[in-house]
Amino acid sequence: MNGSDLNDDLARFEEDLRAWGSRPPRLPAAVAHQRVTARLPLAGAPLPWLRLAAAAALLVVLAVAVWRGSPRPAGQASTHAVLGAPALDPNVVVWVVDARTTVYFVLGPDGPAKGGVS
Amino acid sequence: MGVNAATGDLVRAARDGDREAFGLLVERSWDRLVRLARSVLGDLEAEDAAQEGLVVAWSHLAGLADPERFDAWVSRIVFRRSLRRARRSRGRLSLEALPEPEHVPDVADRLGAWQVLSRLAPRQRAVLHLTVVEGMTDAEIAPLLGITPASVRSHRRRARESAARVLKGGRP
Repeated sequence: MNGSDLNDDLARFEEDLRAWGSRPPRLPAAVAHQRVTARLPLAGAPLPWLRLAAAAALLVVLAVAVWRGSPRPAGQASTHAVLGAPALDPNVVVWVVDARTTVYFVLGPDGPAKGGVS
Repeated sequence: MGVNAATGDLVRAARDGDREAFGLLVERSWDRLVRLARSVLGDLEAEDAAQEGLVVAWSHLAGLADPERFDAWVSRIVFRRSLRRARRSRGRLSLEALPEPEHVPDVADRLGAWQVLSRLAPRQRAVLHLTVVEGMTDAEIAPLLGITPASVRSHRRRARESAARVLKGGRP
């Protein structure tokens, strides 16, 4: 096949392409109008990623609310009650054994006078 | 909003949620969009791709900076949808996407056109279609496909080289 034949073939192909490519769609434009508008999401409807982000944010808020609202262990609550009382010395450790028994440990430096290794 | 309304006015109305205005835009651009999708996908999927692209366009209307340029913008969306579908169905396209005989009076000629076209890369098909069928210039094709005019020329040159090889009986 020489160059001239090839150019003829290309010209014929482009002529075929013009006929093939310019055919009207099977679905008429008026029907497409109806079909596409029937598929349109509601105006102002949030995008899917926006919905996902909102759901994730809600989950985080719920998780924080549940965590903050959950009951503390009994010992911790008692300590809070004690801590609500007049301020203690920072060297005092309070151990609440039960409702009637509270043990106070007073921390102080060790020294030769109080024993120990000399 | 009447059927004679300007494109920009229809786009603005559609942005405000007027579905009928968008429907009129669909009606005006339908044939052109299907022809474009068909150049990339063949007959079977072209109309689905055009509908899909139009629904996507509706959801993104707020992002269209210049309502007067709706035609190029929506064409680009449909073209990208078509490219995505073409990639998904690569390999089975040339055999399956043949036109249905009842819609093709001169079957032999038209099968020939698609048989050649389907052997080219999808962008080359679109460039060839827009040049040969739609008679568009490089400057008009470039924004529509999201490429530069120089790329348009390059795709067209390669498309013709590949088509010549296919016509000669070789691989594209």
